[in-house]
Parts: sequence; structure tokens; C-alpha cells
Amino acid sequence: MTVLLRILHYAALAAFLAFALFPLFWLLKVSVTPDDLLYSEGVRPWPSRMTLDNYLSVLRHTQFPLYFRNSLIVSSATALFSTAAASAAGYGFSRFRYPGKSWVAGLLLVSQMFPLVIIVAPIFRILAPLGLTNSLAGLVVVYTALNTPFAAFLMQSFFEAIPKDLEEAALIDGATRFQALRQVILPLTLPALAATGGFVFTAAWSELLFALMLNSRASVTTFPSGLLSFVSKFSVDFGQMMAAGVLALLPVCAFFFLIQRALIQGLTAGAVKG
Amino acid sequence: MVRPDQGIPGRGALTVKRLLLAAVLAVPLATPVRADSTLRLVEVLTSPERTETLQALVAGFEAANPHTHVEVTSLAWGSAYEKLATMIAAGDVPDVVEMPDRWLSLYAGNGQLENLDPYLAGWRETPGLNQKALAVARTVGQTAYMLPYGFYLRALYYNKAIFRQAGIPAPPKTLEEFRADSARIAQLPGKSGYCLRGGPGGLNGWVMIGAAMAGSNAFFHEDGTSALNDAGWVAGANWLIDLYKEGLAPKDSVNWGFNEVVAGFYSGACAMVDQDPDALIALAQRMKPGDFGVAPFPKGPGGKSYPTLGFCGWSIFRQSMHKDLAWALVTALDDPGGNLTWNKRTGALPVYTNAAKDPFYASAVYQGWFEELADPDVVPTLMPTDLPGFAYFADSLVVRSSQQALLGQISPANMNKQWAAYLTKAKRKQAEMAK
Amino acid sequence: MSGRVLALAVEPYLYAAPSVLLIAAVMLVPLITGLSYAFHDIILLDPLSGDFVGLDHFRDLLEDDSFWTALVNTAIWTGVSVILQFGLGLVLALLLNRPLPGRRLVQALVFLPWAVPGFLSGLTWAWLFNPVIGPLPHWLHALGIMASADNILSDPHLALLGPIVANVWWGIPFFAITLIAALQSIPRDIYEAASLDGAGPWLQFRRITLPLLAPTIVITVLLRTVWVANFAELIVVMTKGGPADATQTLASYIFTLAFQRLDFGYASAVSAVLMLLLLAYAGAVMALRRALLEPR
Repeated sequence: MTVLLRILHYAALAAFLAFALFPLFWLLKVSVTPDDLLYSEGVRPWPSRMTLDNYLSVLRHTQFPLYFRNSLIVSSATALFSTAAASAAGYGFSRFRYPGKSWVAGLLLVSQMFPLVIIVAPIFRILAPLGLTNSLAGLVVVYTALNTPFAAFLMQSFFEAIPKDLEEAALIDGATRFQALRQVILPLTLPALAATGGFVFTAAWSELLFALMLNSRASVTTFPSGLLSFVSKFSVDFGQMMAAGVLALLPVCAFFFLIQRALIQGLTAGAVKG
Repeated sequence: MVRPDQGIPGRGALTVKRLLLAAVLAVPLATPVRADSTLRLVEVLTSPERTETLQALVAGFEAANPHTHVEVTSLAWGSAYEKLATMIAAGDVPDVVEMPDRWLSLYAGNGQLENLDPYLAGWRETPGLNQKALAVARTVGQTAYMLPYGFYLRALYYNKAIFRQAGIPAPPKTLEEFRADSARIAQLPGKSGYCLRGGPGGLNGWVMIGAAMAGSNAFFHEDGTSALNDAGWVAGANWLIDLYKEGLAPKDSVNWGFNEVVAGFYSGACAMVDQDPDALIALAQRMKPGDFGVAPFPKGPGGKSYPTLGFCGWSIFRQSMHKDLAWALVTALDDPGGNLTWNKRTGALPVYTNAAKDPFYASAVYQGWFEELADPDVVPTLMPTDLPGFAYFADSLVVRSSQQALLGQISPANMNKQWAAYLTKAKRKQAEMAK
Repeated sequence: MSGRVLALAVEPYLYAAPSVLLIAAVMLVPLITGLSYAFHDIILLDPLSGDFVGLDHFRDLLEDDSFWTALVNTAIWTGVSVILQFGLGLVLALLLNRPLPGRRLVQALVFLPWAVPGFLSGLTWAWLFNPVIGPLPHWLHALGIMASADNILSDPHLALLGPIVANVWWGIPFFAITLIAALQSIPRDIYEAASLDGAGPWLQFRRITLPLLAPTIVITVLLRTVWVANFAELIVVMTKGGPADATQTLASYIFTLAFQRLDFGYASAVSAVLMLLLLAYAGAVMALRRALLEPR
């Protein structure tokens, strides 16, 4: 009986794995297919003739390395600032009761409730006179605002897991709360910070709408809107587009691969109760 | 500044001194003409080849005009419409922009573009432009708001290999033959006759066939009501819908846009497609030259065909701070030399009367278009892009209603009725705005 | 002394301040501006537009067929996506909760879809569903599920399934991660005690697991529902809302209105309606949660 259950268990997991990885595999397959075979061999699991030309082309003849670098800068900065702000807010939610707390929580929730399309034009109007359009800094500002609410929710859960007694002890010893936070609590939350940072990094890495609308100069284009440049009026360069996609996925997949355990550990400890 | 109350004694020396002083002080006033200026140029029909050609032309301009730098922004075509609109609305206005025909009424109609007639009047190359070029430049308000660089005329691309396989010796000359050929090709396994563009951008197909059946390409009657609900146009719509329903076009084509249609053609899924000369670039890269040909679009029962004519050009924004310099850039891109270079790489038909003599256009594939241009029974049709709300009509209303008609959710007559109602309203609005 | 009291009172606000200020400036102010468009005639680029039109847009909305179609589609899109994501995410979490060799590797691999940008996964799935270049139609046909190897994205009855599948693929990791965390926080002793009392696995699941997971489930489902309802990228990339509005949801309709018709006024009105619906939904869910936590 248990053997049968075990087999079922493995089979089910195998099915999930196949479902999760198949589209990624197909992405990879298209990226190594030469242009002329793209349509004639569309359905084959692997092209009869493999080529790395698409990758070489993307790296040498397009501005993709620049877009990649821009994405890296924007995503890292966003992860940094967002995690910092979210940690403060999450800590505040976890440790304090204060008038207006539900308003703050409500504000964070409401900010997720509407389609972002309607604030594109107003944000453009706000950022333009500040010189923040066509800039990476502008994107960082917007992305930080977009991601902080969920990051705060995550950090709150992580802080819930750490007993309040630890800071109480430090406070009794005469430290200010902020000192207690820095010296006692923060070291314990390093996995949580990494996990939240990773989550935000992934979200910022994938963002398309604002990247497309706020920046038009090539020098500040990030890779999602750069990927769209492979779609011209005359053809879609699928091979190159998928190659660029694979290249862009490598860092974020690697990152996510590494932090997902920390994420679960942290969330477990905090016992996500909301 | 030279003070006017200098004394009289030693006038000669003082005068020289004054002149020198004035000369020296006048230099800063003269320098702005030689200071570095930056022009912003935005291209929208972006592709790697076009960007490369554009950069080359721009480099030539910069070399001829020292102290001028041109910053080229290339917008991806798929999002260029909303991107440019957002930029302009927020005040981020370039100097020169590539202006497709469809966008002209939007920007010119909203007073964003500079009137180019004065510049054209003083330009030596203006007489070399063919009549159509000047006519289309003046589509909005009878004022030239753009300098066109090329025309896009629809013709019929056909897959010679599939035709040979189906035993059809020559491309169809009439819509009847078109239908018969499609039926024969559909008998071959996995192949269809026509790459129908049922999704975005499909309006041109409906117009060409509707006009051919109606025997006229007039969108409106004398009294300003739309002709699209007349018997001929409805017959045309029925013809195309029947083609789809009988399986002579691929089942998926109900949602096909430009890329799918061209991909369907070069992958051999369908044997015929109506397209502009710029599709040649994508096709030439992916098909062997002997496998496809270009023929004039088939004629309707009235013996005439009405291929749609599109155009594109360069416009200058009214908010530009360097209008004269912008005009210089536009002329560099679009004088006979620049125009030929540009069109050879980008595939539009040139705007200068003498360009047709260039050996580049003597190749076999271009014959299809020149045949169309020379044939008196072929009447190039301009879409009414000057109507307010035409973009919504073409991109939303037509797409939705034509898909519903193809899928049998509404009747073809209903579809034409919707179109006619919308266009009549738009025409009326245009007449009101002109008052 | 009062200085210290003041400092203590202000402290919590200082912690929340950076986030609140940033979100208020970058999201709240633009949101209010954006919503105000709903009461004006705002056509981008038209210098003559901008007049106050009161509730006109909302009146037009009630008569707009596309709006109602989009509303129905939004309900289907959101409901089916979230139920499938949650259901499959829960199953995956349960499967991963038991020890097995190589669990860490399996876990890391199966969560990868979350790292893929939305539009890229949309493009990939559109590719997979296209019979000319992808294998899925042929496999479905071979399995007898489809009558012929067609592109489901072109069939108005099936088209919405395409973006839903892509969305489910993308969203399972989110639920799986949060649910595993919640599962692992349930102390083992409770299960052991239940086993000793003779309760089978299914009973344990119903009586122990689900109730203890309930708060987590409620919060994650709420968040995910709101995100999915507002999510237009997949639909715009895969079908552009077609064919014939079969896959148009409110979010993609808003996108089309804003960026094709350039009608920001009407788009804002539809956004306001969507937002109200989601706020009502959130309110209902929060009330439910309070009810669930009460008997404790």
C-alpha cells in the first residue's frame, strides 16, 4: 500500500515538474533553432540543426547587454530600497499598536486594487518636471512604491516569528528601540531580508508597463521593453527574442532558486496569519 | 555696452575703438548660430535594417552640419502608438517624427504639427515630387503637415510552389478566379488559399474586396452618408465571409494580424496574401526567390480593382525649438538621394517621379506594383484617415465586428450597417469641426 | 520627560513613514488624479478635451456591450484562474510537505515559473498553442481531446482558456510557497495525537489542516484574486482581447481604451468600477476572516 502511495506521490510530483518546466524547455528550444527551421520544424521537440547564432546575435548586434545592465541596476536598487522601507513598516505593524494603523494597512492594500494603466499618465506628469522620465532613477522610485506593500506584508510575517522578549530585554538594558532593532533583531532576520529582497527583485525584473511608458531612450531601456523591440512591423524575430529571454531569465531564476528556501523558512516561522 | 556719452575729442581713435568694442561684444550675439544644437528624431516603423539606414543618413547630415547632433529614438512598432501619444501628452516632444498615414489626422488634427507648405514652396526638390505625394501630404486641412517618403500599394503575393503543386499556371486576375484557385489549393492537405487577416489591420482587405464588388471606392455618397451599407459592399463582405466559412482560409486566420499573415504565407500554410512592398523584406529573407511572385490584385466583376494606398513620411512638431534645422534634417532624409537609399532598404514605393527609372525597381517582383500603377483599371484607394475617430474604427470596431461576422455571431449585413453608421457619424463630426 | 513620551508616541509613525510617504506620493496622488479623469472628457493629445462631464462616462458604461462582456469574462478569468492556482498549489504544497529524496531540488525547480516575466510567459504559451509552431494542439488532438489540431486562441469558446492556463502555470508557485510555509507551521503533535485517536489522513486534513490553514488561505486568495483581476498583460499579449471580445476582461479593456482609443476618461470610469468591485470583494473577505477567527 505504502509503495503504491509512494509511486503516486512521485508521479504527481513528476507531473508538476513537467508542467512547470516544459514551457521553459520550449523557450530554450526555440532559442537554439535557426531561423529557417523555425516554422518548418515548429513541432519537433528539438531542432534537427542546433545553433548558437541567436545568442551571439543578441549579445553582439543588439543593445541587449545594455538593457540587461539597466535591468540589473533598477532591480537591485528597487530590492534594496523596497526591503528597507518594507522592513520598517513591517516592524511597525508587528510591534506597535497605534491609532491609524488600520489606515496605513488599508492604504497599502488599496494600492494593489486598481489596474496600473490609469496612473501611467499622471505619474508621467509628476515625474517629467522632476527629470525622472527617461531615467533609471524614475523607474526605481515607481517600482519601490509598487512593491513595498507586499514586501511589508512579508516582513511583518517574518517579524511576527521573532519573540518580542528579545527587544524587551535590550530595552530594559537601556538601548533605544532602534538600537535594539539594529543589533538584536536584524541579524536574526537576514534570511527574511534576503527572501523579501529576492521577491522584489523578481517583480521589478519582470515589470513591463512603466518601463515601456516612462523610458524611450535606448540608454535607459530595461530588458522587458527591450524584448519588445524584437517585434517589428515586418517580422517577429522569435529566435533572437527567445535567446534574449533565456539570457534574462538566468539571473532571476538562479536568484529565485536560491532564495525560495529562505522564503519558506521565514514564512513558516511567522506562520502567515495575515 | 558702448556708452553713447563718450566725448568728442579724438573722435577718430575713439570711433575705431568703439567699432572694435562693438565687434568684440557682438560676437557672443553671433555665436548662438554656431552653438551645438541637438535635434530629436523619433522613428516608429522600427526594424534593425531601418534603424541602420536611418543612422547612416543621419551621420551624413551631422557631417554636413557641424555643431548639430541628432538623437535618434527608435520606438518598437507594437507599442509606438501609445508610446508616442504618452510622450507628447506629457510634454516630451521631439523635433522630427516618422509619421504613418493613419496617425496624421490625430496629430495634425490636434494642431501638433508644423505647416510645411512654406518650406516646400522654397525647396528646389519640390517639383520632382509626384502629384500623389503632394496630394497625400495635404490630406488634413489641405495643408502639408508631412513630407511623404513612400507609398504602400497592396498587391497579391502568391506562392509559386503551391500553385505549381495545385496545377494552376498563373495567378488569378479576377476575384472569380481567386476563389476557384483557393478552392483547388484547399484540396491539398494542410494548405489554404488565402491568408486572411481577420485580426488587427484587416480593414484594407475588406475595403479592397468591398470596393471591387461595388465597382467604386467612394466611401461616402454625395450627401455625406456612408456607402458601406450599399448592396455592392455588402456583397463584398459576404464574399469574404463565405471564403472563410468554406475553409478556403485557415481557421485561425480570424485572429491573424500582420505577423501571422506573413508567417502563414512563408510557412506555406496559405498560398496567397495581399500585402505592401515592405513585406518583401521579411519574405525575401525566408523564401527562395523562385517560390513566390507578386501580381496585381484581382479585379472585381466591374473589371476594376481598388488596391489600398498607404503612405508614410516625416513631420515636424510645432513645439520644436529648431524648426529650420529640423527641415534641413527632413530634406536630408527625403531628398532624391536620401529617399532612394531609404526606400531601397525599407521597401516603399518612392515619391519622386524619376525614381521609377532606377535599376533597383526593374526587378521581377516590383513589376507587379508598376503594372498596377500603369493600369487604368487599377484605382489606388486612399483610406479616409482624415476622419476623426478613424483609428478606433479600424483598430477596434472593424476588428470586433468582422470577427463576429466571420464566426457567424452576427450577419454580414449587420456588420456593414454598424460600419456605415459609425462612418456617417464621423463624417458629420468632421463637417462640424470644419465650421 | 514629555520629550521622551512624545518620541515614543511618534515612533511607530516613523517606522511606517517612508513607505507611507512613498506610496502616497507615487500611487495615491496619481490614483486620485487618474480617477478624476473618470468625470472628465480626457482624450489624450486632444487639447480641446478636458471638460467636466459628470457621470456621463458611467452612463455610457451601462449601455456598453463590450463592458458587460468584459465584466463576465473578468469573473470567469479571475474565478477559474484563482481556483485552479489555489487547488493545484495546495496539492503541490501537500506533496512537497512529505519527505522525499531530492526534495530541495524538486522544490526549487517547480517554483521557477514565478520568476518568468508575465509577457514572456504569455508569448511562450501563445507559441505552444499555435498548431503551426507548437506541439500542444497536436498532442491534444492525438489524445482525442480536440477534434482537430486547432489553435484554441482563435476559438471564441475556448480562447479564454489559453491565458488562464498561462496564468495558472505562473501562479501555482505563489500559493505553493505560502501554503507550504503555513503547513510547516502546524505542530506535528496535533497530527500524532489525531492518529492515536484513529483519525485517517482525510479526516486529519479536513479537521486539522484546513481549519489551521484557513487564515492563510483567505489572505493569499484575496491578494491573488485582486492581482489577477487587474492583470492585463497575458491577455493583451496572447489574444489582444479577441476574437470578438471573447477574451476581453475589464483590465484588458481598460488597456485598450487608454492606449488605442486614447480615451483616458472612459478608461478611468471603467477602472473606478473595477476598483469598487474589488474593494467590495475585499471587504467581504475580511469580514469572512474575522468570522473564521472568532470561535477561537
